[in-house]
Amino acid sequence: MKRIFEIIPGGLSWGIIISLILLSIVYPVASSIIIITFDFYWIIRTVYLTTLLIMAHHRLSRQKNKDWLECCFNLPKYKDWSQLYQLVIFPVYNEGLEVLRPSLAALNATHYPKKKIIVVMAFEERNKAAGHNAAVLEKEFNGKFGAYLSTFHPDGLLGESRTKGANATWAAKAAKDYIDAQGIAYEHVLLSCFDADTCVDPEYFGCLSYHFLTSDKPHQASYQPMPVYNNNIWQAPAFARLVEISGSFCQMIESMRLEKFVTFSSHSMSFKTLVEVNYWPTNMISDDSVIYWKGFLHYNGDYRVVPLYITVSMDVAYSSNIWRTMAVQYKQKRRWAWGVENFPFVAGGFLENKNIPLFKKLRRLFHLLESHVSWAVWAVILVAIGPLPILFGGAFFSQMSIAYNLPKITGMLFNFTLLTSLTWIFLSRTILPARPSGVSWFKNVILVLEWVFVPFIILILGSTPALDAQTRLMLAKYMEFNPTLKGDKVL
Amino acid sequence: MFTFQRVRGFLFYLSLFLFFGGLPLILSFALGYKFNPHTFKFVKTGLIYVKTQPEGASIYLNNKLIPEKSPASIQELVPGAYKVKLELAQHYPWKGEISVEEGKVSRMDKVILFPLRPDLEQLNQEKFSSFRLDAEKGVIYYLNRENGVVYRSNIDGSNFEDIASLPENFGGIRGWEVALDKAKLFIFNPRQIAVLFFDARDNYEYSDSPVILDYPQEKIIQVFWHSDSYHLIVVTNKHIGVIESRPRALPVNLVELSKESTVSYYDSKRDTLYFSDSQKSPDGVVYNNLYRLELNTDLYLLERLMKKKPNE
Repeated sequence: MKRIFEIIPGGLSWGIIISLILLSIVYPVASSIIIITFDFYWIIRTVYLTTLLIMAHHRLSRQKNKDWLECCFNLPKYKDWSQLYQLVIFPVYNEGLEVLRPSLAALNATHYPKKKIIVVMAFEERNKAAGHNAAVLEKEFNGKFGAYLSTFHPDGLLGESRTKGANATWAAKAAKDYIDAQGIAYEHVLLSCFDADTCVDPEYFGCLSYHFLTSDKPHQASYQPMPVYNNNIWQAPAFARLVEISGSFCQMIESMRLEKFVTFSSHSMSFKTLVEVNYWPTNMISDDSVIYWKGFLHYNGDYRVVPLYITVSMDVAYSSNIWRTMAVQYKQKRRWAWGVENFPFVAGGFLENKNIPLFKKLRRLFHLLESHVSWAVWAVILVAIGPLPILFGGAFFSQMSIAYNLPKITGMLFNFTLLTSLTWIFLSRTILPARPSGVSWFKNVILVLEWVFVPFIILILGSTPALDAQTRLMLAKYMEFNPTLKGDKVL
Repeated sequence: MFTFQRVRGFLFYLSLFLFFGGLPLILSFALGYKFNPHTFKFVKTGLIYVKTQPEGASIYLNNKLIPEKSPASIQELVPGAYKVKLELAQHYPWKGEISVEEGKVSRMDKVILFPLRPDLEQLNQEKFSSFRLDAEKGVIYYLNRENGVVYRSNIDGSNFEDIASLPENFGGIRGWEVALDKAKLFIFNPRQIAVLFFDARDNYEYSDSPVILDYPQEKIIQVFWHSDSYHLIVVTNKHIGVIESRPRALPVNLVELSKESTVSYYDSKRDTLYFSDSQKSPDGVVYNNLYRLELNTDLYLLERLMKKKPNE
C-alpha cells in the first residue's frame, strides 16, 4: 500500500503533463481550453496569495520590535512564563565555526533569561571536525546559558538513515536525560529545533512563550516563525537571493492558511509532545514537516501549527559561480520537494488511525497532494505546454479564433500579474536588513532590477525539482540527505 | 488572527466567484462566442485580423470607422461578408471584401499600402519606345524605333548615350533582346533578324553592324539568345532552329512544327527551350503538346550541325 501512495503524486503529475502534451497534438482546441482555464486559475490564485502575503507582512510589521516578554509579564499569574525552559537543538552536519558561532551569539543576545535556556549542539560523530568545533564552542559559550550540551550522533545506527532527524532525535534524547536529571517537567520545556545557521530574533523566545501560554491546547501545536534569509542576503548573488526571498514569502503566505499550515525548517514545539510522538523520524529527510504529521496523527487530527510573526534568519544558499549556485539551489529545492514523502506517510497513518474524521483525512490528503502536484506541474504548463497547441495545431487550428486568442489571452493575463510582481518587489525591500557597510548603494538598484530573472528562475526551479523528487519517489529511488552549500560553507 | 481569517475567507470566496464567474466569459471570448443581451444567448462569432505594411492604417468595416489601427483584430463579428477599407495618409487606400466564419480567424495580414508619390523618381527625359533592364550590371538599354537608335544608360538614368543604330528600312520590329555578353543585341521582324554590335571591336566575334539574317520563306515568331551569346534560337511558323550571329550564317532546323502559332519560352540559365506544338493522332484528334528542347547538353552536336570549323 505504501508503494501505491508513493506512486500517486508522481503518477498524477506526469499524467497531467503527458495528457496535456498529447491533447495539444491530437485535439489542440481542448488543450487550449484547459491551458486558458489553468492560466486564469493561476492568475486568480496569484492575486489571492499576494493578498495573503500583504496581510502576513502587515502582521509581521505590526509585531516587529514588540516586547514579547512584557506581554508575558502581563499574562494572568496562572500562566507563569517563568516556569518555561527553552530547549534549543542545533543539528550540525559539517558546518564550520563561522556558521555556528553567529547562531549561538544570536541565541545569547536574546532577551529571554539565559538560565532558562538549554542549548544542545548536536554534532555528527562521522564529522572529523566535530570534536574540535564542539570544544571551541563549549569554551566560548559554556556558562552563558542554563545548560550547554554537545552531543555526537553515532553513524550507522540500526534503522536510521543519514538524516538531520536522526541527529536531532539523538540530541533530544540526550536533552531528555538532562531534563530528567534536573527534575524539570516536560510540559514546562519548549523545544526549538533550528537549522545550524539560524539566528533568532532577540524577542523570539518571549514571542514563543507568549503564544504557547495563550494558545488553546498548547501542547497540541507546533510554533512556526517566519524564515528569512537575511544573514548573507546582501552578499548573495541575485539569482539565489530571489529564490530565497520567494521561499520566505511562500512561508508567510502559508502562515495565513492555517488549515494547511505545516512546520518548515526551524520551528518550535512542546518537549512533552516531542517525547509523546517519539521524536523525529530517523529515516526520513523531511523531518521538519513529518514531526507535524506525527503530532497530527498522535492527537487524532487535533494538532495545528501556530504562526509566530517573528523572523528567524538563515543563510542564502549559493556557491562560487552562477552554475554552481543553480545546482546548489536546485538540490535544495529538490530536498524541500522531497517533502512529498509525507504523502505516503500521512496516507498510511490515516489508514491506521480510525479516530480522525474521514472528511478531515480527505481534506488534508487533498491539500497535501494538491500542493505537491501543483508545484510539479504549474511551471511546466505555463512555460512549456502553453505554446504547444499553436506549435502542433496545424493549419486548421491556426485558422480558429481560439488559436488566435490563446497567446493573446495568456499574454494579457500575465501582464496582469506584473501588478503582483510589483507588490512582491516592494515587500521584498521591506524585509531586507539594513545595507551593511562596504556594500555599494547601487545594490539597491540591483535588488529591484533582479526581478527580471523571475521567468528564468521559474523555468529552472519552478517545477523541475518537484518533478524530479516525485519521480524518484515514484520509482522508489529514495533520496539521501544532502546538506545545502551556503556561500563557501556547507549547511 | 480571527479577523485575518475572516478576511481571508472573504478573499477566498471572492476568488472563487471571480474564477467561476470570469472563466465562462474568458473561454467564450477565446472560442469566439458573443453574448447577445437581447436574446440571452451566446452567438458564435469570428474575427478579422488586419495587418498592413506600413502599420497604423485606419480601418473601416462596412464603411464604419473602428477605433483600432492596423495591426488589429476585430473580434466578435457575426459570420458573413464584410467590406473593409484601409486608409493611411499619403498612401493609396485599400479596399476589399472578406468573409467571416464562425469560430475562425479571417486574415488580411499581407496588405501593402503603397505611397501616393513620394517614392516615384524620374530617371531621365528621353524619347524611346521600349527598354530592357539589366539589374545585375546596372544598365538600361533603350530602343527608339522612330530614329532607329539604341541607347544605354546607368540604372539611375545617368550617362544616357547611343550605342548602336538600327539598319535602315528595318520596319515592323517584333522584338529585341541584348545578348548576355552585353556586346550586342538582336532585333527581328517577321522576315529578318538584325544583330547590332556595340563597341566590342576587340572581340573576335565582332562583325560590322548590322548582321542581317534573312528568313524569306518563313515567318519569325520569336528569337532568343543562347547563353553563349553567339547562337540565336529562332522560332518560326515552320521550324525551331539555331543560327549563328554572323554574316551569311545558315539556319539549322532542329524541330519541324505542325502548328503555326507556337508559344515558346527559353530558359537561358539552362539553355532549354519549352514550346507548344500540335499533334494529330491516327484517329484524327488534334492534341496540343508541350515540348522541351535541351540546347546545352550536346554542344558538340550543335557544332557538328553547324559544320563550324575550329578556327572560326
